Amino acid sequence: MRPFTYLRAPDVATAVRAISAEPGAKFIGGGTNLVDLLREDIEQPGTVIDITGLPLTGVEELPDGGIRIGALVRNSHLAAHRLVTTRYPMLSQAILSGASPQLRNMATTGGNLLQRTRCLYFYDGAAACNKREPGSGCDAIGGFNRQHGVLGVSDDCLATHPSDMCVALAALDATVETRSEHGVRRIPLVDLHRLPGTTPHRETVLAADELITAIELPPPPSGAVSRYRKVRDRASYAFALVSVAAVLKVRDGSVSTVRLALGGVAPKPWRAYAAERALLAAPATEESFTRAAEAELTAATARPGNAFKIELARRTIVATLRDLLAEGSAA
Amino acid sequence: MAIGKAISRVEAGDKVTGAARYTEDVRVAETAHAVLLGSAISAGRVRGIDTRRAERAPGVLAVITHLNRPDFAAVPPTPYTAEGRMPLVDDRIHYAGQYIAVVVAETREQAEHAATLVVVDYHRTSPVPTLDAALSQAYIPRENGLARVPSEYRRGNAEAALAAAPVRVEEEYRTAALSHAPIEPSSTLAYWEGDRLTIYDSTQSVHMHRPLVAIAFGVPEDRVRMYCSLVGGGFGNKSYSWPHVFLAPMAARVVRRPVRVTISRKQVFTGTGHMAATVQTVRLGADQDGRLRALIHDSVNQTSFIDDRQETASAITPYVYAVPDLYARIRVTKVNTGTGGAMRTPGDSAGAFALESALDELAHRLGMDPLELRRRNHADVDPVSGRPWSGKQLLACYDQAAERFGWDRRNPEPGSARDGDDLIGYGMAGGQRTEHQRPAQATVDLTDDGTAVIRSSMVEIGGGGLTTLSQIAADGLGLPTAAVTFQHGDSALPAAAPTFGSMTSGSTGSAVKLAAADALRAAIDLAVGDRRSPLHGADPDDVVAHEGGLRLRDRPGDGESYRALLRRNRINTLRGDGDFQPEGEDAEHAMATFGVHFTEVRINRYLPRVRVVRHVAAFSIGRVLNAKTARNQAQGGIIMRLGAALMENQRPDPVSGRFISPALTDYHVPVNADIGEIDVIFVEEPDTNANPLGARGLGEICAVGICASVANAVHHATGKRVRSLPITPDKLL
Repeated sequence: MRPFTYLRAPDVATAVRAISAEPGAKFIGGGTNLVDLLREDIEQPGTVIDITGLPLTGVEELPDGGIRIGALVRNSHLAAHRLVTTRYPMLSQAILSGASPQLRNMATTGGNLLQRTRCLYFYDGAAACNKREPGSGCDAIGGFNRQHGVLGVSDDCLATHPSDMCVALAALDATVETRSEHGVRRIPLVDLHRLPGTTPHRETVLAADELITAIELPPPPSGAVSRYRKVRDRASYAFALVSVAAVLKVRDGSVSTVRLALGGVAPKPWRAYAAERALLAAPATEESFTRAAEAELTAATARPGNAFKIELARRTIVATLRDLLAEGSAA
Repeated sequence: MAIGKAISRVEAGDKVTGAARYTEDVRVAETAHAVLLGSAISAGRVRGIDTRRAERAPGVLAVITHLNRPDFAAVPPTPYTAEGRMPLVDDRIHYAGQYIAVVVAETREQAEHAATLVVVDYHRTSPVPTLDAALSQAYIPRENGLARVPSEYRRGNAEAALAAAPVRVEEEYRTAALSHAPIEPSSTLAYWEGDRLTIYDSTQSVHMHRPLVAIAFGVPEDRVRMYCSLVGGGFGNKSYSWPHVFLAPMAARVVRRPVRVTISRKQVFTGTGHMAATVQTVRLGADQDGRLRALIHDSVNQTSFIDDRQETASAITPYVYAVPDLYARIRVTKVNTGTGGAMRTPGDSAGAFALESALDELAHRLGMDPLELRRRNHADVDPVSGRPWSGKQLLACYDQAAERFGWDRRNPEPGSARDGDDLIGYGMAGGQRTEHQRPAQATVDLTDDGTAVIRSSMVEIGGGGLTTLSQIAADGLGLPTAAVTFQHGDSALPAAAPTFGSMTSGSTGSAVKLAAADALRAAIDLAVGDRRSPLHGADPDDVVAHEGGLRLRDRPGDGESYRALLRRNRINTLRGDGDFQPEGEDAEHAMATFGVHFTEVRINRYLPRVRVVRHVAAFSIGRVLNAKTARNQAQGGIIMRLGAALMENQRPDPVSGRFISPALTDYHVPVNADIGEIDVIFVEEPDTNANPLGARGLGEICAVGICASVANAVHHATGKRVRSLPITPDKLL
């Protein structure tokens, strides 16, 4: 780890001012990702601005029935919050399927949005990585790419976004609120992360001086059932091979509401719009679910190591919708 | 009797409260900290290394490279020197992570920072990255210190017998490279006082490793004192002296201060060995009634460009079943990787996956119960030497474990058992491990406060040896276990057998038993010769130990406590010596440990991750010294191999050869949620043919056969035969 200057921001205005004044500075919240990256010498900020003292730790009910989550709400707190467990159980499931209790106790909501990929080549300082060192190449492409993405990836980067929470947020139509010296901005979560294209080091649409302050969720669709399902190599403490966040409502045998997002397969939390289009108003049957999954996955591109993810994603989508259909019928 | 009792570990309280002192916890004044810089490439040379910025960084005391290092006096012998090339001897790079510089600073953080400032100019050559890339170059290693067992074994004419056999199975099986992944990264703290070297090292044997350090630095062995009381997970990777062990004393000489090297978590994966990946072929020929006629087991493992180290996968094969015609071979092939090391259970775990999977395939082809197939080929005597076994209760293990598991409920048809969306599979496999013994010494001191002190250099690596050996001494002297303390982990003490190779129970345990008997004999001699003793004049053979003292066997009322006896005679301690010498090659009996595993898996038919929900194992290990530590150790060994079966894979990048998952986040081992119910049975029969104590080792046999048992259950559940470990979900789609 290299030496850096440590600042502690007492309020949002000071935090925003400090980061504007220090190019290359980083905010630190729970530190569960940044400290790791500092120790691996992947992140080398000259200044680290501690924002854990900012008053962004509340979960509030909004007048429209939605909720507002402060950027510094810890993952474990959010997963256990009554407003979340009652209105957005899928979000709670997603958070609890990620990391470990110790990490969730530290990790913040805002930090979770910005966690960086667990691509093994990104973490291997001796490997070529366009994300770590723009223009150096991508060793994952000719290498071991079993963990890598099949949707939205490019010839310059195959990395996946590692978050579980974000996949649920994508399906829940979350909005991200930020502050900078230029004011307040609201960004739909599905637009927060960029696809890699030829610039995989640019991971979000945030400006360098922008601070995430909150996430807002609209009220959940009434009468719908939802679920987060994660498939991984072991029972706990593993990143997703494939995950699915699904919201489903069936009326008279047809799909009246559906929202679907995928994790583990793309550089960002992947809202499966093509699948949603295929499902809306379609009969709620296994055949429709399969057709919808295939509609989404026709765009998938595989490398030798991760071709299985396409089939696994298809099965996970269908299995999750099948379970929701059964749950919705029982209710 | 204390032996056999299910008591908790004597050091458990210290471990739970943090009072237990591991090597990294040792504090010595003025200690400097060294960080080891590893090579970023896996093949080539260091063309230039610029250390100037690092040397100027805050707190830095020295940066040592191949250009400015002091010389080693000699290369100590293999196999316990892990690598045949001493660190920093030249500019050549054989594997990624190989140490190319030592940065010594006042604090570890300063050393880590300075290490980022070292600029290396590499001359890259094309690496051999993987076992697959090197497979065609496999060869039989020449006999040296590292080729531990003969590379070929032949009886009869296996090829001809195979050709003539009516039923055959011929398949290739693959095991992945595995990391020991101990929680404790290896640590060495060294300081010199003139030519006297004190070294605290996370080692599984102070007495095996002390001479290696002495030779490397050209000092007499008695000038080196090595300590290690507790190891936080070894599994074999601390049974060798890896390069960092030699770099700590070297750095201490350079900076003239105590120096600590604790390798990083990443370096645990590259700097202290691994179980090498193997590609094995098994060819079985059998009669229609399941009697094996021929067995050919061929294994190739990756080794480094520095050493020829076998993963002895087919070494056990000649000993396991009564097969008349058999050929086994072990070859190695050079890959740009570090040298592998012994990992629980060397050779046998990987080999059993192939052999016991092939037997399951044969049973399936014959339409025969896989357990019955093994019964029909039971080796009543050692098939290699023809000698009787010192003790073998394998058939009883089969019976008891099969009954406990409910094997008779198994419908042999694959895919026949379901529960909702879960496919259910039952599988089984056997295991065998040759029992090794080493000379071991211990003393037991009987003290005038009525307690006893064991002195032996044994290192506690978590298996429970401190507890079981205390129980042995307690029984020998008629004391409660709580009255026995243990001085251990210090090369100034009598030499224990190393704490690897399953040798603690049989070898060091026997030494403690002999020492306790010797101390008892001294106490008896003292009492019967002492006119003031109620036992005066008694026949020594009629005197026995009982409840903290001595008494007559036939007249329990006549006796006295050790405390009274020693105090009256003004003796502080009575020392008993124990020197266990194994019989070696001339032994009348062949010695091995045996086991059998039964596994139930459940696999969601849509999302096929294998869950091991139930596992029953039975072992034949002679006498069980402590029912609790034994069960605990066996469960640990089983869990370790469930990891190899389902998730562990220390995978090299297919281009560069670098291990690309050197972190516990990415190198998966089982977590609590992965562990189902694990039931362990010991079919006990004290084996005094093996040693005076009657106990054989458990630490390794418990980890042989699990992978095949899981793979066989997966086949039963799904009809899919997975011959390449680990069995991850993608292989079952």
